[in-house]
Amino acid sequence: MNILIMVIFVVLAAFTLAAGVMVVTVKNIIHAALWLIASFFSVAAMYLLMEAEFIAIVQVLVYVGAISILVLFAIMLTRHVTGEGVRQLYKRWWIALIVAAALFGVLIVPTVFNYEWAVQPSGAQISIASTVEIGTAFMREYLLPFEVASVLLLVALIGAIVIAFEERSTRRRVLTLAEEVEQRRQRNESLRLAPTTHASETSE
Amino acid sequence: MPDIQIPSIDLGVSLQLLIIFGGAMVLLLADLFSGEGNKRIVGYIALLFVVGAAAAGVPYWDAPRSTFNGMLVLDNFALTLNWIFLLSTAITILISLEYLPRQGIERGEYYALLLFALGGMMLLAQGTDLIVLFLGLELLSITLYVLAGFAYPRLSSEEAAMKYLLIGAFAAGFLVFGIALLYGATGTSSLAGIANKLGSGLAADDVAFMLAGAALVIIGFGYKISMAPFHMWTPDVYEGSPTPVAAFMSVGTKGAGFAALARLLLVALGSQYATWGLILAILAAVTMVIGNVSAVAQTNVKRMLAYSSIGHAGYILMGVLSAGSPAAANRGIEGFLFYLLAYSLTNLGAFAVLIALEQRGEAAWSLDDFAGLWHRQPFLAIAMALCMFSLAGVPPTAGFWGKFYVFTAAWEAGLQWLAVVGVITSAIAAFFYLRIIVQMFMRDPVREISPSLDRNLMIGVGLAALGVIVFGISPTPVIDLVQGSVLALSR
Repeated sequence: MNILIMVIFVVLAAFTLAAGVMVVTVKNIIHAALWLIASFFSVAAMYLLMEAEFIAIVQVLVYVGAISILVLFAIMLTRHVTGEGVRQLYKRWWIALIVAAALFGVLIVPTVFNYEWAVQPSGAQISIASTVEIGTAFMREYLLPFEVASVLLLVALIGAIVIAFEERSTRRRVLTLAEEVEQRRQRNESLRLAPTTHASETSE
Repeated sequence: MPDIQIPSIDLGVSLQLLIIFGGAMVLLLADLFSGEGNKRIVGYIALLFVVGAAAAGVPYWDAPRSTFNGMLVLDNFALTLNWIFLLSTAITILISLEYLPRQGIERGEYYALLLFALGGMMLLAQGTDLIVLFLGLELLSITLYVLAGFAYPRLSSEEAAMKYLLIGAFAAGFLVFGIALLYGATGTSSLAGIANKLGSGLAADDVAFMLAGAALVIIGFGYKISMAPFHMWTPDVYEGSPTPVAAFMSVGTKGAGFAALARLLLVALGSQYATWGLILAILAAVTMVIGNVSAVAQTNVKRMLAYSSIGHAGYILMGVLSAGSPAAANRGIEGFLFYLLAYSLTNLGAFAVLIALEQRGEAAWSLDDFAGLWHRQPFLAIAMALCMFSLAGVPPTAGFWGKFYVFTAAWEAGLQWLAVVGVITSAIAAFFYLRIIVQMFMRDPVREISPSLDRNLMIGVGLAALGVIVFGISPTPVIDLVQGSVLALSR
C-alpha cells in the first residue's frame, strides 16, 4: 500500500515537472498552454493523493476550467503571436537561473533542515479543513469578507465591461499588442526605405 | 450534517454600507433605462443615495456597536469619517455632472463606480479586521483604476490608469504579505485580537515576524496615502485622470487609507508606538518636504495640486502618528479628523475650479491661465483664493485650524522638531499657493479663456468654499464633532 502510493507520487511528480519544463521549452505558445493544463491536472491529482479532495476539485475548476481557458483566449485574440521563431532564452539567462535558484534555496533549505521528517502519523485523526468547515467558516465567522468579496467581483466585472465595451463610432478600436508592433515595424521599414525622397509623405 | 446557522447580524452597523452598495446597483439599472445623452439623472439619483446614507448614520451617533464577529464597527470615529467621505463624494458628483458630457465621456456607470468606491472607503473606516481592510482597499482601488482610465480615448488617461494599476498591484502585494506575516505571528487577523496578543507578550521569533508584517502593511497603505518614498505615482496619475476623478482620489483614497492606517496603528499596534512612532515621524517630515518643495517648481496647476496633496499627506500623517503617543492620544485623532475634513473641502474646491477652466480637448491649467481670473469670473477667483489660503493654512480658513491642530498634537506628543518642520514647509508652500492668488487678482489675462461655469459646478464650488470659510470662522461645531469621535476609538 505504502509503496503503491510512493510509486503513484513519483509518477505524478515526474509528470508535473516534465509538463512544467515543456511549458517553457515548446515553441508553439498554444502547445505551451496545453502543457500548462496538463501540469495543473497532475497537481490536482497530487492533492487527491493527499486526501484534500476539495482543493483538488477547486484546482481543476479554477485553474484548468477558468484560468487556462482565459490564457488560451488571450493567445487566440492576440493573433500573430504564436511564438514560432521567438527566442526562448533570454540573453543573460544564467542570471535569472542564479536568482531563481537562490530564491528557491532560501525557501527550501530551512524547511529541509528544520522539519522533522521521519515522524510517523499518530493514531489520532488530524482534522483537515473539509468542505463542511470551509462552508461553515464562510457563513459564520467570515460572512462579511465573503459578502464583500462578491461586491468586489461585481465591481471588477462592471469595470472590465466599462473598459472593454466599445460604443460604435465614439471609441477608437484597441489594437492588440501584435498589431501595434506590426504597425510600428511597417512604419520603420517605410522610413528606412525612403529616408530622403519621400520624407514629407512618411512623416505624417 | 449539522445545520449552518447564520449568526444574527446587527444590520444597523452596516446600514450606510447597504444603502451605498444597494444604491450603486439601482444606479446600474437606472443607467439602463435612462436615455442616451441624458445620464445626469443617474447622477442625481446617486446624490439622493449619498444624502440618504448620511442621514441614516445620524441615529447611531454615540451608540458604538459592532457586528459580523467584530469585523465591522460603527463608532463615532467611523461615523465621522463616513460623513466626510459622503460629503466628498457628493461634491465629486456635483462637479462631474456637467464635466462628463462636456468631455464626451458621459456614461452612467461612472456614478455607480463612484458609489462602489465610496463603499470601499466606508469599509476601510469601519473595518476592524485585516481581511476586511484588505477587501475594502481592493474595492476602492479596482474602482479607481477604472475611473482613472474613464476618459478612455485620451492617452494621458490611459497612462494614468495603467500606472495606477501597476503601482496599486505592487502595493497590494506588500499589504497581503504583511497581513500574512501579522497573522502568522499573532494567529488572528482581528485588530483587537492582535492587540490582545501583543499585550500578553510574543515569543522572540514572532516579534520579528510581527514587526516585518507591520512594516509591510504600513508600506502597502503608504502607497495609497502617497507617503514619501512611495509617492512617485501621484503627479502622473492625478494629471492624467479626468479632473473630478483626480479630485475624488486626492481626498478619498487618502482619507480612507489614513482611516485604516489609524485604526491599525492605534488599535492593533498601539503598544508598539516606541517602534513605529519615530520611523513614521521621519517619513512624515520627508513627505512634507518632498511634496512642498517639488510643488514650488510646477507651472501646471493640476500637477502642483498633486504635489501639494503629497505634502498634505505628511501633515495628516503627523496627526495620526501623534495619536499613538499617550500624551497626545486624543489631540492626534482630533487633528487627523479636522485636517481631513478641511483638506477634503479645500482640495475638492480647488479641483472644481480647474474643471471650470477645462475646455473640451484643451486644458487651461498653466499658471498663466489663471492670470486675471478675477476680472473674468469673480466667483471662481474668490473660491480659488479661499481654497489656496486654506491649503496654505492662513486664518480664518478651515485649513488654518487643521494645521494648528496637528502641529499642537505633534508638540504635545513630544515631537517638537516635527512641528517645526511642518511650520517651515507650510511657509514654503505658501509661496506657490499665493503665487496663484497674485496671478488671479493682480495680473492681466494672457489669453482668452471662457470658463464654463454651470449651476451644478457652481453649487459644488460654492459648497466647498463655503465650508472652508465657515469652518474657518467658527470651527466649534467641527471641533465638537471630532472631540466626540475620539472617545470611541480610545475606549
